[in-house]
Amino acid sequence: MTIRALQAASVGAALLLWEGAARARLVDPLFVPAPTAVAAALGQVLGEALPALGRTVATAFVAYALSVGLGVGLGLVIGARRFLGDVLSPFLLAAYGLPKILVLPWIVLILGTGATPAVVYGTLHGLFPVLLLVIGGVRDVDRSLITTARAFGARPWQLYSRVILPAIVPAVLAAMRLGIVFALLGVLVVEMFAGVRGMGFELSAFANAFQAPELFALTLLVSAVAIAIGLVLDGLGERLNRWR
Amino acid sequence: MAGPHIVVDGVSKRFETSADAVPALSEVSLAVGRREFCTVIGPSGCGKSTLLAMIGGLVLPDAGQVRIDGQPVEGPDPRRVAMVFQDPALLPWRTALDNVAFGLELRGMSRPERRRIAGDLLGPLGLREFAERYPRELSGGMRQRVAIARALAIDSEIVLMDEPFGALDEQTRLLMGEWLLSIWTRARKTVVFVTHSLQEALLLSTRVVALTARPGRVKSVLEVPLPYPRDLESPGLASLRATLWGEIREESLKTMGR
Amino acid sequence: MIGRVLAARAALGLGVVLAWEVAARARDPLLYIPPSRVLPALARLLLLRSFPLLPEHVWLTLREILVAYALAVGVGLAVGAVLGLRPTLGRVYAPLLGALYAVPSVVWYPSLMLLFGLGAASKIAFGFLLGVYPVVLAVLAGVRQVSRELVTVARAFGAGPGRVFRTVMLPSMLSTLTGGLRAGLALTVVGVIVGEVLGSTAGLGYLITYAYGLLRTADYVALVLVTLAIVLAIDAAAGLAERRARRRWA
Repeated sequence: MTIRALQAASVGAALLLWEGAARARLVDPLFVPAPTAVAAALGQVLGEALPALGRTVATAFVAYALSVGLGVGLGLVIGARRFLGDVLSPFLLAAYGLPKILVLPWIVLILGTGATPAVVYGTLHGLFPVLLLVIGGVRDVDRSLITTARAFGARPWQLYSRVILPAIVPAVLAAMRLGIVFALLGVLVVEMFAGVRGMGFELSAFANAFQAPELFALTLLVSAVAIAIGLVLDGLGERLNRWR
Repeated sequence: MAGPHIVVDGVSKRFETSADAVPALSEVSLAVGRREFCTVIGPSGCGKSTLLAMIGGLVLPDAGQVRIDGQPVEGPDPRRVAMVFQDPALLPWRTALDNVAFGLELRGMSRPERRRIAGDLLGPLGLREFAERYPRELSGGMRQRVAIARALAIDSEIVLMDEPFGALDEQTRLLMGEWLLSIWTRARKTVVFVTHSLQEALLLSTRVVALTARPGRVKSVLEVPLPYPRDLESPGLASLRATLWGEIREESLKTMGR
Repeated sequence: MIGRVLAARAALGLGVVLAWEVAARARDPLLYIPPSRVLPALARLLLLRSFPLLPEHVWLTLREILVAYALAVGVGLAVGAVLGLRPTLGRVYAPLLGALYAVPSVVWYPSLMLLFGLGAASKIAFGFLLGVYPVVLAVLAGVRQVSRELVTVARAFGAGPGRVFRTVMLPSMLSTLTGGLRAGLALTVVGVIVGEVLGSTAGLGYLITYAYGLLRTADYVALVLVTLAIVLAIDAAAGLAERRARRRWA
């Protein structure tokens, strides 16, 4: 509990310091507005921002659902077949690690500037971390559990439903935790790049207009929403992971 | 029924590694009578676990045949054979009770019925209060008892045990041995038990089969015609122990010399 | 076995390129850019015909990456060491850092553009922001991996703090640390390129959006391929450095 108090005190102190610096004109308030100015701006733009936030989160959830669905499904198939996994691994690692923004212009060129490119690009971001974690999870399933299940007469479908699926729950939860961040990231990038309506577009618009208080306010708003979604997923994960 | 319960008939097995093929077992023959407690002992790496896995149908021999009740073994058959491994291999997301019921569940038995059977088994094993605990909340000895209960639950005539107490400390090991004997005398199952402990072999079995260093062959078969419970200090057991140690020592030295 | 895997990989790669060629020709070659159109564009690009100033743009991007990475490593090691070696500070501030990790990093980029402008500084700042996190995490994880018994033994044999660090701590945290440094570099590279694509006046990312804006699609793909080659080369160099560091100190 004292840790919570110290954390709150630190954040509070940082805000006070920032407020003081802005009021004393130690920083240019045009670029670094005081926290009070940011709070006031949040009140003003909230009405306009909430629909944009709703769009972004909704698009990200579609991308997220696709990422988790495809990632878990394909991950189960690829993870269970060693040869397939070995063949695909360099391609999957490359798709995970290389800057996906390089294909973004092409996606926008083909799919236009509506919600579709945002969903596709968000899925592109979310899919590979989920896929790699699930493949790893399937490959790491304790061999002795599989041997035991075989010895007790488990059929292939029982092996999946009673051993492999429950065993990869932690990996899937970790993947779901990571996937939402990546899906949101992808959607925001598309909105910034292609002017697709949503939070990413609002953020770049305020940046281009040099409206720092509004920009900071919305940045904090998106961050808070992302952190809240993460906490909800954590809570869900803890419930599914009671046996650990 | 006449004839041995389990027949291992001239079985050989090699394991392919990236470099070459390592022979694990070479022409092993063995017969285990009904309701016998047969222990297989030998130096590490002699293929005792492979032999057990073959009887259980988890590994198929390159040559030779394993027969149970005269029928060749072609895969795992939990209706006739139950297995216990050194690693208890409990499903960590299931409670002790649901782990014991696992084999029955795979058979398609209804939840209330399988939980009743599993619950009846937990009592005598001193696990009644631990039925709803997860494996990580149990001690090593308790986990292994749950694994044994899981094997007993499917009520097969044969139980194969691969160093089930290998990971436990000496005291727990002795207690588990006593406890296993009491189960075996009551349930009258055919047990094939793999160990590398002379003491365990002599205290528990009606017969001890010693294997040679890799590749494993049958080195000698020792009958232990002593009543239970046995006393390690008794002259009969001491002389058997000396004989057995003579057989094993030579083979263990070969392993160490490599 | 390994040969079979490599053959299957090659076949898969080739099959995708071929399928792409066929599909692109059947549709709109301008939009779907068949490989046969990319190769001449790549040649023009590398011979500096299509973009004579390519080397300057590449050099700018590389400098941005270098500066951002140097900052990320310096700050990351310092923050990680402070949080890792002072457990009280770590317990208070590591969770705050963890919460920030749940935020999709790109939300910070508009603010960075506002603060640092369209030039190199905002790219460096974004690259730093992405790269510093894995370094901090790796130091924290690495410190946890150091066995207390080993430190005690080393102290008992009279080793001072510097020697304890070099002979005990560094070897036991090395693989985690080098892993984090490598992940940090990869993310720094991504950050700089994302920054350039989202808004810039120079650099590889700028050239890519420029070619795309003019619908010079073959040139765009050629630029993407050059960028990928540079990213892969940086990662390969990092992998080499990682292996050498492990051989030297582990």
